[in-house]
Amino acid sequence: MANIFYENSILFALTQLVPLLYLITTVLYGIHFFRETPLAGTLKQPALILTVITHVADLGLLTSVEGYRLSYSAYNLMSMVALTLTITYMFIEFTTKSDKTGVFVIAFSTLSAMFSSFLSAHTTSAGPAFSGIGIGIHLIAAIFGFSSVAIAGLYSGLYLVLFRQIRLNRFGLLFQRLPNLEDIGLLIMHAVGFGFFFLSITIIAGVLEQRALSETINLLEPKLVTLIIIWLLYGISLLIKPLFGWDIKHMAVMLIALFVLITALLFVMSLMTPSFHGLRF
Amino acid sequence: MNIISVGVNHKTAPIEIRERISLSEVQNKEFVTDLISSGLASEAMVVSTCNRTELYVVPAMAELNCDYLKEYLIAYKDARKEVRPEHFFNRFYCGTARHLFEVSSAIDSLVLGEGQILGQVKDAYRIAAEVGTAGILLTRLCHTAFSVAKKVKTKTKIMEGAVSVSYAAVELAQKIFSNLSMKKVLLIGAGETGELAAKHIYAKNARNIVITNRTISKAEALAEELGTNRVLPYESYKEHLHEFDIIITAVSTKDYVLTEPEMQQSMVRRRLKPVIILDLGLPRNVDPEIAKLQNMFLKDIDALKHIIDSNLDRRRAELPKVNAIIEEELVAFGQWINTLKVRPTIVDLQSKFIEIKEKELERYRHKVSEEELKRMEHLTDRILKKILHHPIKMLKAPIDTADNIPSKVNLVRNIFDLEEPNQSLQ
Repeated sequence: MANIFYENSILFALTQLVPLLYLITTVLYGIHFFRETPLAGTLKQPALILTVITHVADLGLLTSVEGYRLSYSAYNLMSMVALTLTITYMFIEFTTKSDKTGVFVIAFSTLSAMFSSFLSAHTTSAGPAFSGIGIGIHLIAAIFGFSSVAIAGLYSGLYLVLFRQIRLNRFGLLFQRLPNLEDIGLLIMHAVGFGFFFLSITIIAGVLEQRALSETINLLEPKLVTLIIIWLLYGISLLIKPLFGWDIKHMAVMLIALFVLITALLFVMSLMTPSFHGLRF
Repeated sequence: MNIISVGVNHKTAPIEIRERISLSEVQNKEFVTDLISSGLASEAMVVSTCNRTELYVVPAMAELNCDYLKEYLIAYKDARKEVRPEHFFNRFYCGTARHLFEVSSAIDSLVLGEGQILGQVKDAYRIAAEVGTAGILLTRLCHTAFSVAKKVKTKTKIMEGAVSVSYAAVELAQKIFSNLSMKKVLLIGAGETGELAAKHIYAKNARNIVITNRTISKAEALAEELGTNRVLPYESYKEHLHEFDIIITAVSTKDYVLTEPEMQQSMVRRRLKPVIILDLGLPRNVDPEIAKLQNMFLKDIDALKHIIDSNLDRRRAELPKVNAIIEEELVAFGQWINTLKVRPTIVDLQSKFIEIKEKELERYRHKVSEEELKRMEHLTDRILKKILHHPIKMLKAPIDTADNIPSKVNLVRNIFDLEEPNQSLQ
């Protein structure tokens, strides 16, 4: 079976351009964070916007090639993860006016985009594809949920790094450039809130879609079990702080552990079980 | 045309010498007025602060050199026993301009990038302007220096970051808490250090500041000054420790004012919400074991000095940018000085042509009508303007160095047969 990326030259070009744009944006954010070069500061936001627009165009074209259906494949998932992470970060940057942490989030997006681009070159089948609003919401909400989980994990890492720097009297670059501990803590809690919201949407949309399908979903299917566990853990972590008085430092440790666990599970399951909850499309 | 500067500063002399030679505002006015009255200088200004006393002088006579100025100042202060010419530095022309630019932009200061010096240079210029000793050259020099300082402040980070212990304490608090106006601050000790820290944190919008002090009246006075009017009796502040997010201690005592068991109990009561304790006392006021408590940030003077050192390193890294700004302004200033040298020739050239024009028009005054004469005058004005445009442009050319100006000026003067220039203007 032929690779669809080789059959469509525009799609092929965009798929190669997207990771390059992510890389350029990361470099610009990195230069501005570490060197405070004014030119990088001026260019980084336009680069971010251009990257997102190009990526949306790339995914749009890919969907149109597949008959306007969302395909469930490892490269598409990684690509969506990169995009949703960046959109979520962009939303945070534009609303909080804090552009200091971009390099850490977009670097992760870049890795996802590069991985996706690498996978696309070795994929002959686009994988199962879906159409319909319900399944679309289910899939996109799941990816936004994961992006929020990733951002919560990344900010938790930054929180712990800054916390440790202050405790050890290391007042270097990270101390100077990162937002204060309270602000990072707030970002973490917002990301957890978003994550829980999107995962809830994922479950609701999934249940509604399942009713509309003739085939029954196996409730013990690994992805479903994982999703429920993640959803429960995030729900609990939202309650832990107000109910048990957990401080952000402990929350940060737990969120990093959750992020690592979820990422590992998603990677393994995307590669090992490419089917969608055991359904055939 | 020259500008000389001589002076004593923190780089050339110890503090006792700087104290001995410094001038009060009254002395400053008297000194520059005397110098101009003596006929030796045409312009004079003195910058006198705790770290420097520097004279900026435009000589009117060749006799006025650096050694003479040093002796003049030493004699004025009657300080021959303590102050010697070796305690002074000398600068000439561009060196003087560069030095004033460096002083104004705070890169010549004892604490790199400190914010007070620009105001002090402005004061020095104000005094000179008030007594009429700041002429065209010093006025331009000072205004360029102010412009350099403004550019340095906005385009570089030479003034960023705390470089005093009390400021560093506030900077650290801001790195932990996002909004100090929402935090409750306890100040233990209303002495000089405590007062400074309280004022700095107040300036960063902390309004909920409670003060406790052994002598309650001092605490009340400081609370009133800050406008918080919140005081705790020294005997009972420990009962309220759990209420505070930021605790600043600055008392003179051998015993710890905060111990580990007290703070542990307080942390339990506040459900482990983060607390920052800034121990500004010497000897230390707070039990160092407290630093091990969860979510506790205890910082003493040594820790805060780490912040200061780090900020000073960052300021030093900005020096190349500052020097580039100074170089740029120095070139522009040098070019302006050069235009001063050609100004008399331009004036003479314009006068010469106007004289010729008026003589020629005078011959026709009674031969033509009033209206025709006006037209002729208008026409000749336009012709003169066009003829003189290129020679004047060439004289003012900014690429000129000081060395090739005299030859160019002489050439123009010879071609157009201009009289010898007025020496006082040159």
